[in-house]
Amino acid sequence: MKMAEVVHLNYHLLPIISRFGIHLGFGERTIEQLCTEYEIDVNFFLVILNSCHDKNYFPRKHLQGFSLKLIIEYLRKSHQYYLNIKIPRIDQLLQQLLIQASGLGGDSLKLIDRFFKEYKIELASHLGREEEKVYPYVFTIEEAFQSHIMSRELVSRIYEYSIDDYENEHDNMEDKLCDLQNIIIKYLPIPLDMNLCHMILMELFRLESDLNDHARIEDKVLVPKVRYMEKWIIDHFNS
Amino acid sequence: MDYIHVILADSSQLVRLGLISLLNQMKYPFHVREISAPEKLSALNPRELNGLLIVSASFLHQCTPVFIQSLHMKINSSARVLINDQDNNPKEYRGFDEVIEAADHDKTIIRKLEKQLSLISQQKGIQDSPEGISDREKDVLRLVAIGLTNKEIADKLFISSHTVITHRKNITKKLGIKTIAGLTMYALINRLVIPEEIN
Repeated sequence: MKMAEVVHLNYHLLPIISRFGIHLGFGERTIEQLCTEYEIDVNFFLVILNSCHDKNYFPRKHLQGFSLKLIIEYLRKSHQYYLNIKIPRIDQLLQQLLIQASGLGGDSLKLIDRFFKEYKIELASHLGREEEKVYPYVFTIEEAFQSHIMSRELVSRIYEYSIDDYENEHDNMEDKLCDLQNIIIKYLPIPLDMNLCHMILMELFRLESDLNDHARIEDKVLVPKVRYMEKWIIDHFNS
Repeated sequence: MDYIHVILADSSQLVRLGLISLLNQMKYPFHVREISAPEKLSALNPRELNGLLIVSASFLHQCTPVFIQSLHMKINSSARVLINDQDNNPKEYRGFDEVIEAADHDKTIIRKLEKQLSLISQQKGIQDSPEGISDREKDVLRLVAIGLTNKEIADKLFISSHTVITHRKNITKKLGIKTIAGLTMYALINRLVIPEEIN
């Protein structure tokens, strides 16, 4: 399939393609050709693209052969995208709305702004925790799995905090985003610049769907692989 | 018009078509989503299972344990119907509201499905009611917003903690706001509380 066709099929995939460093001007090149050119693992690229395109997609076994390092590199890049591009854009639109509405009932807007600021901090600390705690753990597991060097400490660490605990910790970040959407949709009391409000809402919905894609990649691609390695390590250590 | 979402999960197209033709004989408007592969059903988020789920036992057996487990959780305005095509004791399937036996007559199947659809549409009616929250719910919301725990709210309003939890569930259902921060913002915007009251 040509890359240009991918974008025509679902333009929401554009930021994901660009996250892999592939820029516009695809010409007539296919996914495979572009991946070779940019030195990207084509199976991995397909898994990510498909997971974002179809929420019911589940990668088949033979497509799961890539390393955890690749997945984590991708997840880190998407964290950067949320924190450095998405969030500031919403923030900027909110500030614009605040300036326009100053004077008339700006209090409600200030509340919304404060709520979003709190959300921003929580999101950053949530993503930061993944990078500081979860990803290094995943690397340790992959290293032991590949080198067959296992220690008692590692095994007790798996018992103490396995990847399943991490999966369960996916906390109420989504709930807050959803609340914010609802407040704007249902309870904004004053007449405001509707175009601006719509833009903010669209951005919030996009962010929500991006975060859902992100969580899906973690749950369906990352977690099963790590879980498999953890089990393998425990089995081999005991035998 | 509010549609009821129906998820129809079975590997046999004949079974799915048969059920759709029965559903078409009922008065409830619905959208059907057919699922023919167990991994697709397993991949659904529990939130997507609002509405009516119809799944056969043989199909369910091929789903992931995590998914089967998640069926024990009850979601608002939803119902789950099992097609017992394996001669098993239906009691072994927890989380199902109704069981259709393979040998059931079409009238029986219609009666069973109609009952579940009517329950769902009743629940949806309550959920979608346009009225805002009641005065009592406002009392509870006010106290939630100023940061009291369920126990403290219960003591203050002379009601049980259990009743507080019920009120909170209803408030969330009506407003579509789940988090305490979100509820606080709602209370402030609607002047149920003033900023100075909040910790």
